[in-house]
Amino acid sequence: MKLLERIFRYQLRASLGVLALGAVLFYVSVNHLVDQEVNRDLVRSQAKVSWQLRHLGVLPVYILQLGDSLQIEPVEYAGRIRAVERNMLNKSTNEYQPWRQLIFYEQVEGQMYQVTISKLLSQRQELMKAVVMTVTFIVALLLISLLVMNSRLSRRLWKPFYKTLHALDSYALEKHEVLTFPKQQIIEFQQLNQSVTQFTDRLAATYQNLKEFTENASHEIQTPLAVILSKIEGLFQDESLKESQLVALSEISEAANRLAKLNQALLLLTKIENRQFLAGTEPINLVPVINRKLRDLEDLIEQREITVKTEIEPTGPVMHPALAEVLVNNLLTNAIRYNVACGTIDITLAPGRLVVRNTGTPINIDPELLFERFRKEGTHSASLGLGLALAKTICQVNGQTLTYKTDGPWHTLTVDW
Amino acid sequence: MKLLLIEDEKALATSIQTYFQRENFICEWAADYRTAVEKINIYRYDCVLVDLMLPDGDGLNAVRELKRSYPETGIIIISAKNSLDDRVTGLNLGSDDYLTKPFHLSELNARVQAVIRRRNFQGSQQIRFGKIQIDPQEHLVQVEQQEIVLTRKEYDLLVYLIANKNRVLTKESIAEHLWGDDADLMDNFDFIYTHIKNLRKKLMDKGCPDYLKSIYGVGYKFSEQ
Repeated sequence: MKLLERIFRYQLRASLGVLALGAVLFYVSVNHLVDQEVNRDLVRSQAKVSWQLRHLGVLPVYILQLGDSLQIEPVEYAGRIRAVERNMLNKSTNEYQPWRQLIFYEQVEGQMYQVTISKLLSQRQELMKAVVMTVTFIVALLLISLLVMNSRLSRRLWKPFYKTLHALDSYALEKHEVLTFPKQQIIEFQQLNQSVTQFTDRLAATYQNLKEFTENASHEIQTPLAVILSKIEGLFQDESLKESQLVALSEISEAANRLAKLNQALLLLTKIENRQFLAGTEPINLVPVINRKLRDLEDLIEQREITVKTEIEPTGPVMHPALAEVLVNNLLTNAIRYNVACGTIDITLAPGRLVVRNTGTPINIDPELLFERFRKEGTHSASLGLGLALAKTICQVNGQTLTYKTDGPWHTLTVDW
Repeated sequence: MKLLLIEDEKALATSIQTYFQRENFICEWAADYRTAVEKINIYRYDCVLVDLMLPDGDGLNAVRELKRSYPETGIIIISAKNSLDDRVTGLNLGSDDYLTKPFHLSELNARVQAVIRRRNFQGSQQIRFGKIQIDPQEHLVQVEQQEIVLTRKEYDLLVYLIANKNRVLTKESIAEHLWGDDADLMDNFDFIYTHIKNLRKKLMDKGCPDYLKSIYGVGYKFSEQ
């Protein structure tokens, strides 16, 4: 809900409340005045009727016109004088109308009479109508003026706010941007803009540091590793080494190689996480990527007698080509590494989805856990345990989802975009 | 053959120098950008190996300089940076190859030889070893004028072995040469063994002596003795 909409709602509620209260007060006070007037009228009539009854015995015609009707009935006993209000049927219009009646008792020549003077309260209905109409009119006027004012406010007053919001929306950390804004007259917006500028400034600096650190770490670790590996290779050429020494050297070499690979994979992962790869600009056709990879891996596939079935059509997500390569590579090598001898790999590529399904040994843990770094099922010592973590990260930064499902011997990895 | 190595890490530079000296190459070394530019301007080299991160400058500038003054010199970038941008920039500037640290010296050696061979337009580009003769452009392998049909991997393996003749080659370096980053897919190195066995058989069937020696626990050696 928009802030202005919210404010408008509160304004609406408050004004409706105030207006309702005002209407009630208005009604009550006017009603009170009218009531008093009617009562006074009735009391005056009472005085006249009493006097006539006591002194004349016969009521003159004009007396009958006091109030709107006059009834006189003989009764046994006198009651208390009282004023009542009741609805009575108007025969001519066939509807109920409110009447005020003053009932009092008068003794004339030893006989007790009950006298009822009634007065139609038609003013009250008129009043009600007037109040409702006035209030409705005021409410309508108020709402229209509020709406007009709010839309103007949102267009003019809130403009800088929306500008800032838009700038933040399209903010890209990879571009090392610092957002700056023109000076504002409204203090709150000025503060907001200042905070955003400071924030993006810090962000860009931190990001730059991180990027430099990653690059430097790469350089610093790769170089000593290169020294170690080159020295080992030099040593291998030394013909005076004994067989046992050569074997030990070979093991050192294997470990150092592994360390180098691990370092490279971790660096790639960090780089992707830091979004150092710019997003792609156009959809990539994954078909040549998949075919190239399958050709690279063909002797591995043949050696394990794996059957590869492909059902691919030229399509693919929008992403950096290098990342698409890494993603396809990791999915396919994963499907080969954890396959069984004489197994099967099904590759399906359709608009919006890439599915790699392979046979393998059933696993007991939640397959989604295999996306964690260094998580390995079984003892594949050659695996770094980073392949699926890398694939997952690539999908995350590109807004795709990667899911892992198992069904008995079948392992299915699906990329949706 | 004359090489220039531009690399600020002394220990690595000595290893590389020693390796190429055994190959009877002259390998000069420049530890910083200034020395490198001086040497480039005075001497002629067949191939220059450039590290991108130098203490006093960007190796890419050295590549630009070389390309302008001596376009016929082969250039191989050796860098700890494998960020794609650098790779693309390096290759666009006209470097012939890009090798990410750490690398196997045998791999560097094979690449240097390939670059020199490709740039040696006048001379023969043929690779010869004992009774084997290879035409790299045609991917044609002959033993005493008889053609041998090799698979792509077997061919790559043979060229690699010849480039690193008389040296001990580790199984990892062979695996990495043949499968690149997929080398770690191999749970053991039986896989290389299959290719080695097939290659050896094909060569010996055509009357080649057994050039391939297996060295227990380490790898292989390709030599005439």
